[in-house]
Amino acid sequence: MRDYTVKIPKEKLLPEAGIVKSPLPNSEQPDMITGGWRILRPVIDKEKCTMCKTCWIFCPDGSIEITENEVRVNLKYCKGCGICANVCPVGAIDRVPELDFDDVPVRLEKLF
Amino acid sequence: MGKVQEITVWASGVVQDKEARDVAQCLAAAAAKEGKFVQGFDNYVDLPDRVNVPVRKYARISDSEIEEKYLYENYNPEIVILVEPTLVKGINVLRGMKGGGCLIVNTGRSPEEILKFIPDKKPLKKVACVDAMGICPKAVIDFSGSEGAADAAGVGIGIGAVLAGAAAKVSGCVNIDSLMAVVTNAEAARRAFEEVVIKQL
Repeated sequence: MRDYTVKIPKEKLLPEAGIVKSPLPNSEQPDMITGGWRILRPVIDKEKCTMCKTCWIFCPDGSIEITENEVRVNLKYCKGCGICANVCPVGAIDRVPELDFDDVPVRLEKLF
Repeated sequence: MGKVQEITVWASGVVQDKEARDVAQCLAAAAAKEGKFVQGFDNYVDLPDRVNVPVRKYARISDSEIEEKYLYENYNPEIVILVEPTLVKGINVLRGMKGGGCLIVNTGRSPEEILKFIPDKKPLKKVACVDAMGICPKAVIDFSGSEGAADAAGVGIGIGAVLAGAAAKVSGCVNIDSLMAVVTNAEAARRAFEEVVIKQL
């Protein structure tokens, strides 16, 4: 019987819109780096922060990193949704326009 | 086939989807009024229905018939328009630009501040900044999807008209009179044409 399957080389396949492989445990998601979406950057005031970890619970991207004595934002994946600033009980998170900062945490060559 | 002038519009998904679509559609419609051959369409590979995701809208203008009907992306854009200025940091918006290109940014900042975030300035000829929200403080958000099915608000009623007017001035791809005949908010397009800040490189 003849084989009618069309064999398309992997590099000629159409891009799969919005389909991203799920990340492995304790790893990053290199196929979907969302830091470039951010318009307003969350800036944590270390004086006001009480380490309550509410922002860590609510962050939809898992971008809040808790260490021994500080809370940091992973700017490679933070898309600037502002949920952390809204849920912070002490108002320690401020949202500053991304273009005010000179550093560039993420610069993708192309989207997909 | 003659030279095809490729225009790419970058925006944030959903919140600026309609305005970015208006920029591409208005420039294409205005060029069509001048008797040119045009195409105007969205990029379907982007995630258009997710808030703030970078999305692209395309327009092509040519003096002769455009043969590339099945290329769904502008690989060598000559004019790049940013509806959301922050995208200049997050992604290489000038990818594929061959030289003598224009970058038009919707921001109240100066062109020097925008240039700071572009590592490779070689393909650029002009950078222009226009404060679209200052000229026309209206950004229409609609949820009719990226196909532009029902456009009840009117094409080119908000900041889309401003950016199209600025693009007409900076690149000269269309005549401002034919653009003003196409957009709903013609006054905003005229003001952008006069107020856009251009920096030659």
